[in-house]
Amino acid sequence: MAHILVVDDDESFRVYLVTLLTQAGHTVLEADNGQTALERFASAPVELIITDIFMPKMDGIDLLAALVNNRPLVKVIAISGGYKAMNPRLTLEMAQSFGAMDIITKPFQAGTVLQKVTRALQSTNDVVAGES
Amino acid sequence: MNTISAYRELTDAHKLQEMRNELEGGFLTVIRHYQAGILHRPERIRQAIRENDPEQVAMESHSLKSVCRQVGLLRMGEMAAELEALGNSGILDQAESLVEQLVASSVTANHELTHFCSGAALPRPFFDKGRQPD
Repeated sequence: MAHILVVDDDESFRVYLVTLLTQAGHTVLEADNGQTALERFASAPVELIITDIFMPKMDGIDLLAALVNNRPLVKVIAISGGYKAMNPRLTLEMAQSFGAMDIITKPFQAGTVLQKVTRALQSTNDVVAGES
Repeated sequence: MNTISAYRELTDAHKLQEMRNELEGGFLTVIRHYQAGILHRPERIRQAIRENDPEQVAMESHSLKSVCRQVGLLRMGEMAAELEALGNSGILDQAESLVEQLVASSVTANHELTHFCSGAALPRPFFDKGRQPD
């Protein structure tokens, strides 16, 4: 089982993911923006980060950029429901171009999240292809 | 408002049951957090409309849309999407009547979710005030 950091400014989604992943046996930390996530990660490194994209203070893209520069081995799954004119696919494809291994579109199903988490944890640091 | 009227029932019992099966013991914890958002966010949108703050309307509506869609509140999700679009357009003329529908729906949805969490089946048909079953 892994140590996972969940990053989302929406408490409902954070609680959902933390509950789901904890029940699956993982140890889960949480943060409500990219800046807090970097602080948590610095004090308690994790194998996997699941991050929302649009957040206040520091968004998911900036978080990815910081991780790529400073912590290139950590695996990241990006999650988003899109924002304004940007549909979620475009947003998440941008996240992949910044180093996210995989993407999850909101609304999501618990089974999809667990499947992608398992796949990411088992993978090497190559990008996981596509979204199922 | 054609998209809204397409969803006559507020809660999707199938989606909720699916969540309950997936989350098992954690279901109540999760759904209580979603309920809080469903109750409070429409009030925040209403406040933003009163303050004529389209950006805030768009942001709060976007959050509510995601929350509603995640727990199967599709009709509320569509109302929130319309409010988000109005916020993004910067023109809030039609937003006031829509947010009043949203506030009323959030109370009903919260009641339905509480009912579901109690273990009882949702009463059907369970419609908004003023809506008549076919």
